[in-house]
Formats: sequence, structure tokens, C-alpha cells
Amino acid sequence: MNDLSSIAQLAATSDEQAARLLADSTHADLIARITATRYHASERSGSAEVPSATRPLTRRRLTIGLPAAAAVVAAALVISSSGQPGHHLGPTGVRPTKAELLSFTRHGRYIDVIVRNPLADAKKYNAEFKAHGLHITLSLVPASPSLVGTLVYFDGGSAIHPITAVGKCWTGGGGSKCPVGVRVPIGYRGTAALVFGRAARSGERYETTVSATMPGEVLHGLRIAGRRVARVLAMLRKRQVTVAEYNYQAPKRGGVLAHRVPLNWFVYDADPWAPGQVVLFVGKTRHERLYPPSTKQPSPKASRAPGL
Amino acid sequence: MRSAHHARDGDRRSRFEEIYAANCTPILGYALRRTSNGDDAADVVAETFLTAWRRLDDVPPGDAARLWLYGVARRVLANHHRGERRKSELSDRLSHDLALVHRDPEYTGQLGVAAAAFRCLSEADRELLALVGWEGLGHAEIAAVLGCSRNAVRIRLHRARAKFAAAVAQLDAESFVPDPIGDRT
Repeated sequence: MNDLSSIAQLAATSDEQAARLLADSTHADLIARITATRYHASERSGSAEVPSATRPLTRRRLTIGLPAAAAVVAAALVISSSGQPGHHLGPTGVRPTKAELLSFTRHGRYIDVIVRNPLADAKKYNAEFKAHGLHITLSLVPASPSLVGTLVYFDGGSAIHPITAVGKCWTGGGGSKCPVGVRVPIGYRGTAALVFGRAARSGERYETTVSATMPGEVLHGLRIAGRRVARVLAMLRKRQVTVAEYNYQAPKRGGVLAHRVPLNWFVYDADPWAPGQVVLFVGKTRHERLYPPSTKQPSPKASRAPGL
Repeated sequence: MRSAHHARDGDRRSRFEEIYAANCTPILGYALRRTSNGDDAADVVAETFLTAWRRLDDVPPGDAARLWLYGVARRVLANHHRGERRKSELSDRLSHDLALVHRDPEYTGQLGVAAAAFRCLSEADRELLALVGWEGLGHAEIAAVLGCSRNAVRIRLHRARAKFAAAVAQLDAESFVPDPIGDRT
């Protein structure tokens, strides 16, 4: 047993079980309580944060953490790309002073925040965000080369928009327009988490990747899809790239990792693993056959786990 | 003016009731699968629908509402996990109904290995895999819940699956063949 099918079985409660738990009167009670609370247009300002949900009956938040100017001020966060010379710093090109990790520069209706050193201690960024009244955390994860300096994960609201730059990286979809930063309304009092890609150290595993054949990646320019494993291993050897793992699909098991597969199997794709290492996606057939997990159905799986 | 306001309030309430009726079960299921007791699940459900009420104009129509609500519930849960839980009287009745929900499942055999491996993953990875395995969502739907691109979902899901498989393998050493190629450390 493996992968998604086994995860599905870990669901402690199915929706069907959940549906039987609440009395109709409980639903009616909740609806009545919720709709009795006040709502204001200002709370519909497009932010996808969870607004005052944790303080459902108060409006205190509106006065918490607001900067002196109540106007909508946004912060644009753009990471500099120390590992990749020649990049634009972002739409404005504001240069911070050397002592700063982040530079908050007002720019019309926005504040540009530039990250100078993508390898600095994340705690220091976060302290600077905090000093500016923003509950934003920034962390850095080892990224495959084309994602270094780009925003690879963002958890916040719809009020925060990514800033994209063309030619900075290449996406798995083949485009070259990638997020390099985000624009944050200063009035945003929710939390947000930004994760940027940084260069991996030698031997360090990437936490975020695109296909290894994308521009900027270790196998760029090689056509590996549909070739046999033996052939691809020879191609990899020329680039001094080794295989960390093989990943193949097995019926009822989903994705399986292995360290050895038959050399006459076929390669479908490669994913960067660590500097000089890739994961090869392989299978017995020339064209990839997927075994979709049985859980990909319109309705959630019933739980087989005990406990309710 | 006053009557217009009242009419609008009535429309608002009707729309909210529709959204609630269509989605209360999946949101309750979502919350129950991610919390260890009925109180927490009740809070998540109440806070999620309170958010929907307050931001009703942001709730997308049709089936997309469910994905939007998953996204809200996810952030409510994240706040809970950060210790920002504040007991709300909104969820009193829910808590009462869910009081007997006590989940302490014990898995054995391969499922036990899977459960242990799942717990080894980061919260973000677990959520991604759970949205597929528990809520039965596809890439596009997950992208809507997480507010990112389908491609990002595809990549992150692949990574999460690889990490999960690696964790299972580590916990279940017998399933591995000796490695002649990789530089596994």
C-alpha cells in the first residue's frame, strides 16, 4: 500500500459521517448567530485573509496595526537575485542601503520592499516586517537553479498579489513569467507567509523544483522523454548528473520510489533533487501510464478508519 | 432607504443560507479530519462560515464556493495551530453536538506505516496530499483553494508525494532494494 490511496484511508471522518453528526436545530442556531453579527463593507475589501473570525463579535481589528496613514498603501516585495547577476531588482529598482536586509521604500501608492540578501537569517526579515506593522514571515528554501530568487510559495490573502518578471525563471508550463515578489496592502492585518527560493548548498536537497529539462536546469536541452533508462543514464553521465531516486507508477500503489529499475524501461521526466542529482520518472511503457488514485472522485472517500 | 437596506439584508441572508446548506457538510468533514476533538472542529466550522457571512460578496457562485470555503477553513486552522484559537460562543451548539466525536484511530500494518509517514511530513505537504486524498480535489481545485497556479500544485504535489513515499520507504525498509546508483545519504 502506498501513496494517495493509503492517505485517503487515514481520513478519520468521511463527509457522510460528518453529515450525520449535527442536528438540524444546530445548523439553524449557527446560521441565526452568524447572521445576527454585523457586517461592514470595509470587511469585504478583497482580502482573503480570515478577517475577524477569531474575534467574531468585535470590530477591534480595524484599529489594530494601522499605520498613521489610513489610506491604502501597498508594499511591493521584490527579492534581489544575488546568485543571478543582471536581474532587474523589480519594477522600481530601488536600492536599499547596505545595512538593511529589507528596504521599505514608499513608491506612490506602494511601498517597495526589496530583499537584499536571499541567504540572510529569516528571523531578521521577519523582525523588519514586524517593525513595519506587517505580520509577514519570509523564509527561504533551497530551490533548483531556475527558481532561485523567485517566490515559490505564498500563503496569504487575495489582497496580496505576486509581482511577476519575464525571463527570470522558467515555469513548469514552459513560460518565463514568474513571480519574483508580492505586493502587500499595508492595511493588511492578517498573516502571510512568503517563501523564496535560494541557491542550494552542495549536497542539499531542493525543496522546490521545476522539471530538470527546463531552461536554467541541469538537463536543459536534453530530450529524455520516451528514451530508455540506459540511454538517459548515458546522457546524464556526460553532464555529471546522477540519479537519486527513480519514481514509477504501480497499479494500486501509486508512485513508488526505487533505487534501481530495469535499464530497458522508459524515462518520462526528470526532476531536480539536489545539485547534480535528479529523480527520474520511469515506467515499463514508452508512454507514461498513470494510475490515478482511487480517491480522485467527485465525492470524498468514505473512511475505513475506526473512531467515530 | 430603510426598506432598501432591509431588502438587501434579506437577500444577503438568503444567499448565506444557500451557501451554508450546500457546504456545511464538506466544511465540517474538512474540519473533523484535521482536528483532534469536536470543540476545535466546531470552532473551525463556525469561524469559516462567519467569514463567509462577512465577506459574502467575495464568495464565488456555485461549486467554487466550496473551494473558497476550504481556503478560509485552512487559514482558520492555521491560526488555531499557531495558538490563536479564541473560543467563540457561535460554536457552542456545534461543540455540544460534536462532543462525542473522539478520534483516536490506531492504524496497524501498512496503514500504520502510512500514518506515521504522513505525520513526518510538513504541514503544507500534509495539506496538499489531504486535499487530494481526503477531499478528492484535482489540481485545478487545489489551485483554487491554495490560491496558486495549477502548475505550482502539480510541482508541489509531486514533491509531497515523493517525500511521503520516501518516508514510507524509510519506515518500511523491507520494501527497498539495495541502491547501486543513487548517492542516498
